[in-house]
Amino acid sequence: MEDKNLSKALEIVSRLLKGEEVGRDDKGSAGLYDEYVNNGEVYDITMEICRKLNLLVFEHENSLYACAGENNRVFGYTNDEMKKEIGVRLNRELFLCYFIIYNIITRFYNDTGSYTFTEYIKAEDVIHAVDGSLSSVMRGLSVVALNEVEEHSFKTIALIWEDLPMMSGNGEDVAVRAARGSKLGFVKMTFNFLVKQELMVEHEGRYYPKKRFRGMVEHYFEDYKGRLYEIMKGEA
Amino acid sequence: MSEEYTLVRDIVYEHNERMHNIKKYYPFFKLAETSFSQYKEGRYAGLDMGYIVMGVIRFFIEENNFREKMVTYPAYAGFIHEVLVRDFELILPEEEEAELTSYIFDKLRNDGKPFCYEYFDPAEKKKKNVRVRLIHNKLENDRIVYYLTGDAIEFYLDTKEIKEESNITIAQILLEKMISNKNFKGGTEVVSRINSEVARLISKKNEILNLLGYDVFEGTKAYEEFVKNGMKWFEEEQKLFLRNKQLINRALRAGEQDNRYFEAMDDIYHLEVQLNHAMKKHGELLSACMELQKQTDEIITGTKLNRLKRSFDFRKGLADIMAGDNTELLEAFMLPFRKPAIHKLFALTMIDNLLSCRQEDSEPAEKSRQPDYKEDFKYADELEEERIYENYSLFFKVLLSAIRDREHLTLGEWNQILIESCGPSILKNADYYSFLVHLCQKYYYNLNQIKDQPETFLDEIIQKMTEEGLLTTGDCRFSFYIQFEGAEAWESDFIDIYGNEVKNIEFLTDGAAVGSNTRNERNGDGNGR
Repeated sequence: MEDKNLSKALEIVSRLLKGEEVGRDDKGSAGLYDEYVNNGEVYDITMEICRKLNLLVFEHENSLYACAGENNRVFGYTNDEMKKEIGVRLNRELFLCYFIIYNIITRFYNDTGSYTFTEYIKAEDVIHAVDGSLSSVMRGLSVVALNEVEEHSFKTIALIWEDLPMMSGNGEDVAVRAARGSKLGFVKMTFNFLVKQELMVEHEGRYYPKKRFRGMVEHYFEDYKGRLYEIMKGEA
Repeated sequence: MSEEYTLVRDIVYEHNERMHNIKKYYPFFKLAETSFSQYKEGRYAGLDMGYIVMGVIRFFIEENNFREKMVTYPAYAGFIHEVLVRDFELILPEEEEAELTSYIFDKLRNDGKPFCYEYFDPAEKKKKNVRVRLIHNKLENDRIVYYLTGDAIEFYLDTKEIKEESNITIAQILLEKMISNKNFKGGTEVVSRINSEVARLISKKNEILNLLGYDVFEGTKAYEEFVKNGMKWFEEEQKLFLRNKQLINRALRAGEQDNRYFEAMDDIYHLEVQLNHAMKKHGELLSACMELQKQTDEIITGTKLNRLKRSFDFRKGLADIMAGDNTELLEAFMLPFRKPAIHKLFALTMIDNLLSCRQEDSEPAEKSRQPDYKEDFKYADELEEERIYENYSLFFKVLLSAIRDREHLTLGEWNQILIESCGPSILKNADYYSFLVHLCQKYYYNLNQIKDQPETFLDEIIQKMTEEGLLTTGDCRFSFYIQFEGAEAWESDFIDIYGNEVKNIEFLTDGAAVGSNTRNERNGDGNGR
């Protein structure tokens, strides 16, 4: 192993850890990306380090992106950390935000193989999507057996969502704050998180997916679908 | 027996459905209870919430279903203003009215929460919670708009009509009777209700389409229910529409020709317009439902195809997660949306540590560590040296005093003296023999010289004894010889000590040694051994 290759691999890993892009179109890392692609040793070392650090690396449109793998205690997030990142207080609110994120994905993708070519989405689209997704649960909510709603049930999410006003006040104030007090506020909080994670970019209330978002969705769900199906079947 | 069974079945197993069916009435009675006597010191006690509820619902139906537009808050406020002025003759300052309007609106919307009540389901033996809303809201072009829920429309229609499987059919029959009875004005009202029912079905159809987009299975169920309860009546409704149309046309012709319905002509025209509008809308509903059928088939086919593909289907994934009913599973789907966490949070438990951290003055002073070793500790060799010094001192003092007393002393005699003073075990002491070895290294000992210039190990001990004052001044000037060859006075050349034969020697003072010439001749250099 050459010291030079190790140094380059470490530099790539370092950038990925910091959440920075390593890609051909990025001036700061174009050289590193070329090394990663053309130099087998750099590739091997990078992948080995990431594997040992339990980082998942995805290559999408000549760029590399990384995220923490499952149960990564060092680079992963605890629920408390996630709540702080997003700005919610309770676990069920956090799961509602996760649900909102999932619905955002479905606005852009039907499945990993088919991008819907939706250019952007607005908060109200997401509210409609969440309404739609929860509609089957909500139908059951018209009559709910008391004490049967468990903390991790989708009914809990549906109850929070249904009881939220569309926006605080009577709707005259369009500039709604990202807060837990209304549906729109919740969606904006979730969008703020996605923007912070450099997955989306906002322009006049329209949210455009970035390359990182597309890369992550297309590759993570494609590469790890087996594991995801296991999780869905409860084989955690 | 069978009667009893029927009774129980009606009571127990149909209770749930009955409770479900009456839920649409609940908000009205709940709201009707609202008394304005508590609000603003009873200034508006004359207002009747029940009347306001019915009025607002009718207003919403007018806007939502007839004019096909959503209601904004200002539109609602305008309507309430009219009601207050027209019906309650209440003319209020602008601010006060705005406050009252908002108060009523919050009540109607139950502060944004559904109206809930509990009941016991005897079939499942569980308490259940019923939730129903009158007014819902949604976001449209960056503003909130309000619309009536299906329950609210159903409630309103039920207040005057008997609910049947198809409201439209019932209304048509009613209309037919009204036209036959020449009640054209009443007929117009009935047509309005038909219109609202058609609008309700259109919104129901949209709900189903929305549901199909997200959950095919639930959507299909809702679609089948819709077909069963709504669409199967369409053909019948169409026929009835045509018949009513014919009736109106006939009435119109009769009116125009015979001038029979002169006073009612306006009503007939109006009814015709309304009916045409209703037929048009009904036609739209029909084609929308045909479209729904097609779209449902397409969605189902698409879902089937997706199941065969190898890619991850997000919709199906979501349906599976929701079927599992565990929101925690969503966690695994969020992994790619989080950059590696490199900024660590300050652990909350650290705050406890900080709070319990003692002030400086209450802290105990740090104790200096006491040396856990003894300063007078002696190593084994030092102990040995001390023992040797003590023993040698004793032997030497005994020897010296014995020589000074007797002038002649043999080793055997000295042994006896030692046994007498220290006991017989002294001859078992290893130091005694080592002392003898050291002693015999020289044949002449002048203590005065030794004090200044010690030559051997024993000399050094003697010097130390002198320094410590163990020897008297007389001792310090004393000198003696050691004679190794046998003399006449000796009993034998060898003595027995505990079974060992030891060469006998003789100790002599200077005076005793004067006549002994032979000794000096034999040991010329003074280093006899």
